[in-house]
Amino acid sequence: MLDATIILQILWSSLAISCYYVLFAVAFALVLKVTRLFNFAQAAIMTIAFYTAFVAVQWLEWPAWVAFLLMMAASLAASYVLERLGFEALRRRGVSVMFVFVFTFMVSEFVAYVAMLVFGTWPQTIFPAMFWPVTLVGNIAVSAWDLPAIGVTIAALAALSAFMRFTGAGQFMVAVADNPALAELYGINKRQTFLLAMMIAGALVGLGMFLYGTRAQVLPQTGISLMLFAVAATIIGGIGSLAGAAVAAVILGIIQNASVLVISSEWQGFLLYVFLFAAIVLFPKGLRLPRRRFGTASHRVTRSPAAPAAESKAA
Amino acid sequence: MTANVLEVRELNKSFDGIVVAREINLTLQSGRVVGLIGPNGAGKTSLFNLITGVVKPDSGTVLLEGAPLDRLAFPQRVRRGLSRTWQHIRLFPSLSVLDNLLIGTHDYPGERLLNVLFRHAHLAEHDKAARERASDLLARMGLGHVAGALVADLPYGQQKLVGVARALMGKAKCLLLDEPMAGVEGQSYAAMQRIVREVADRGVAVCVVEHNVAFIRDLCDEGVFMFAGAIMARGTVADLTRDPQLTELYFGH
Amino acid sequence: MEYLYGIIIIVGLYVILATSFNLIIGYGGLFSIAHPVFFALGAYASALLARELDVPMPLAMLAGALVAVVASVALALPSLRVSGDYLLIASIGFQLGMLEVIKNLRFTGGPGGLTNIPPFLIREFGRESYVLLVLFLAVAVTLLVRWIARSDYGRAMSAMRDDELAFASLGRDAMRMKIVIFGLGSGLAGLAGALYAHYFRFIAPEQFEILQSAAILTMVVVGGLRTTWGPVVGALLLQALPQMLTFLNLPPSVLGPIQGMLFTGLVLVFMFFRPQGLLPAEDVWHGREGLGGTRRN
Repeated sequence: MLDATIILQILWSSLAISCYYVLFAVAFALVLKVTRLFNFAQAAIMTIAFYTAFVAVQWLEWPAWVAFLLMMAASLAASYVLERLGFEALRRRGVSVMFVFVFTFMVSEFVAYVAMLVFGTWPQTIFPAMFWPVTLVGNIAVSAWDLPAIGVTIAALAALSAFMRFTGAGQFMVAVADNPALAELYGINKRQTFLLAMMIAGALVGLGMFLYGTRAQVLPQTGISLMLFAVAATIIGGIGSLAGAAVAAVILGIIQNASVLVISSEWQGFLLYVFLFAAIVLFPKGLRLPRRRFGTASHRVTRSPAAPAAESKAA
Repeated sequence: MTANVLEVRELNKSFDGIVVAREINLTLQSGRVVGLIGPNGAGKTSLFNLITGVVKPDSGTVLLEGAPLDRLAFPQRVRRGLSRTWQHIRLFPSLSVLDNLLIGTHDYPGERLLNVLFRHAHLAEHDKAARERASDLLARMGLGHVAGALVADLPYGQQKLVGVARALMGKAKCLLLDEPMAGVEGQSYAAMQRIVREVADRGVAVCVVEHNVAFIRDLCDEGVFMFAGAIMARGTVADLTRDPQLTELYFGH
Repeated sequence: MEYLYGIIIIVGLYVILATSFNLIIGYGGLFSIAHPVFFALGAYASALLARELDVPMPLAMLAGALVAVVASVALALPSLRVSGDYLLIASIGFQLGMLEVIKNLRFTGGPGGLTNIPPFLIREFGRESYVLLVLFLAVAVTLLVRWIARSDYGRAMSAMRDDELAFASLGRDAMRMKIVIFGLGSGLAGLAGALYAHYFRFIAPEQFEILQSAAILTMVVVGGLRTTWGPVVGALLLQALPQMLTFLNLPPSVLGPIQGMLFTGLVLVFMFFRPQGLLPAEDVWHGREGLGGTRRN
C-alpha cells in the first residue's frame, strides 16, 4: 500500500544512498569534461580505494580515520599513475577515443581480477560489523549514516564548486574543458590541468567509496557496476555539466530504490542497464564531442580535419 | 544547354551567433563554371557544406534539377548527382590512386555482400568498365603512370588532381570544387584547368571556391563574391576584380 | 582421446569467434565488447529450440545464428544512429544486461544453466565427425572473412575506416555497411555458440561472461588485427595458455582470476606496446590477384 510514509521513507533513503552515486558521477563527469576522456578505469580506482580501506581496518586493525587517509592516498596515487603513465602515453600516440575506452575498461577488469585473486569473491564491507543506529523522525527511519553522508557529500560538492569558481587552478580547468587549444595558447598548462582533474576525481571517488563501503557490500566487480550508473547519470545530465550529472545521479538513485515497489529484487541489477541504454537512446545530445583523435599525434599520412563543424567554421 | 542544375534559395545558417549564410540565392547552370570568391571566413566552404547536406540550414532550400534535396542525407544527395572535393583533400591513405578512383563510382556491385559471394561474373564486368574509365581519366590528367601508387607517395598537387578525379568518377551533374588550386602549380595546374573546362563542356554545372584569381579569371564564366556569409556581388570575374570596394573587403582585414 | 577432441573443438570455435570479431573490430572499425553475448544467444536459442520444440538440429543451429544476427542489428541500429562511440557503451550494457536476463529467466535454466541439450552427430557418427565439422567450419569462416576483406567490399571497408566523411561524399552509406558487418560477425558468433551447445550439452551464463570478451579481444589484438591468420594464431596461443594453467592444479577460485588477469593483462600490454599484434597488418588494402588491387613493392 502506497501511503505518504512509505513514499517519504523511500525518498529519504534514496536521497541518502545517492550520495555515493553523486560522487562517482561527478568524478566521471569532471574527467570527461576537462580531459574529454571516458575514464572507465575509474572503476579500478574505486576497487583499489575500497580494498585499501578494507585491508587497513580488517587485516591491519587500524582505526577508521587512518584507514580513510590511507584510502584517499591510495586513490590519489592510483589516479596519478593512471594519468601520468597511462593516459599521457596514449595521448602522445594519438590513439582513438574508443581505443582509450577499451583500454580503461580492461584496466578495470584487470584490477577486478587481482582483487578476486587476493580477496576472493564474497562480499565485503569496510567494517566487519555494520550497525548504524536508527532514529525515527516522524514515522521515517533515519539511519545514523544518512546525515553525515549527505553532509559530507554536499560539503565535497560545495568545495569543488568553490574551487572551480574562485581559484585560478579551478578556472584553468574550466578553460581547458571549453577549448584546450585556446587554453594552451593562453599559457595554461594542459598537462597539469589534466592531472589536477584526475586527482580531484580520485579524491571524490575515495570519499564515495568510503561512504559506499561503510554501508553496502562490495565485490571485486562492484566498481564496474557502479561505473555504469555514473556513465548513465553523466550522459543524462548532459556532458559538460557537473551539476547535471549530480542531479541525474540522485534521480536515478531514487528511481532505482523506488522500483523495489514495482520490480522484484533480482531484476534490480538489470534496471541499471536499462538506464544506460535509455540514456544513450533518449539523450543523444549528451554526446556531442567532436570526433577527434585522442591527443595531437597524427600517424595518418593525409591529414583529415576533425569534423564537419570544424570545416564549416573554417571558410 | 543552359538548364538550371542546382538552385539554392534563401539559405540561412548561423553557428553560435555567427552568421555563416545569409539569404543565399545561387543558381548553377549546366556547362557553366561559377567562381566563388571572398576572404577567409566568408562562408564559402560553409555554403558547400550546406548544399551537400553535411550541415543542416536554418531555413531555405536546395534543389537539384528541380527536386528538393532537403530531406536527403549527404550520401543520398551525392547519389542524385552532386559531387564535391575537399579543402584538405581527404583521399583514402590505405588505397592506391586507382582504388581511390574506383571507389568513386556510385554503384559498385562489389559492395553488396551477396554479390561478392554469388555473382562473380557480373562483378568482373562492372569492374573492367570502371577500371577503363578510371585509367582514361588518369591519363587525361597526366597521372597514368602513378595509378598503382599509394596516394601518400604523391606530391601535393597530384593528390589534389586525384581528389578531383575521384569526384568525377561518379558522373556528377553538379560539381563543387573546394580550393582545387591551393598549393598546386606547374603541370598539375594546367591539367586542373583543362579538366575542369572539359567537365563543364560535357554539361556539368561547376562551382569553384578559389583564392587564386588568375585561375578564376581564366576559367570561370561568372563570379560570385561572398563576405560574412552573404553574397555581395555577382558578375564577370573581370568586373569583380576591378571593383575597389570588393578588393578592400577581400584584403582589408 | 575425448579430452583432446574437446580441446580441438574449443580451439576451432575460438577461431570462429576471433575471426568474426576481427571482421567487426578490425575490418569494420567498430568497437564492441558484446561478442560473447551473441555466442550465448546462439547457444541458448539453438539449445532451447532443439530441446523444447524438437526442432531438427541443423535448423536450430541456423536459427541460433539468426537470433544473434537479429539481436546484433537491434543493438547496432539505434546505437550507430547516435555515434560510433555509443556502440561501445551500448555493447557493454547489452553484454552485461542480457546475461542478467538469462540468469533470471526460468526457462533458460537461470544461473544454474541449461542441461540435457540434444547432441548433434555424436550418436550417429561419433565424436570425430563433430570435430571435423567444427574444423571445417573454422576453416570456412576464416576463408570467408579473408575473401570479403580482399574483395571490393573490403576496399570499401578500408575507405570507410580511413575517412567516413569522404566515404559519404562518394555516395556510400557507412551506417548500412557497419550494420551488415556487425550482423554478419555476430551471426557467426551465434553459430559458434550453437556448435558449442550441441557438443558439450551444457551451457551456463558464467561461460559467456566478460572474461570471454577479454579473451577474444586478446586473441585478435595479440594475433594481429586485420590479418587473416592473426586471429587463428591468437586463438591457438590463447587456448594453449589456459590449458597449460590447468596442469598447475590450481583451485578454481584461483584459476579463474589468474586467467582473467592473463587475458586482460595481455590485452593491455599489447594495446600499449604492440597494438598491431604479432602478425602485423599493413595499413594498405590489398585486393586479390586477378581482380586487381594494390600491389605495393
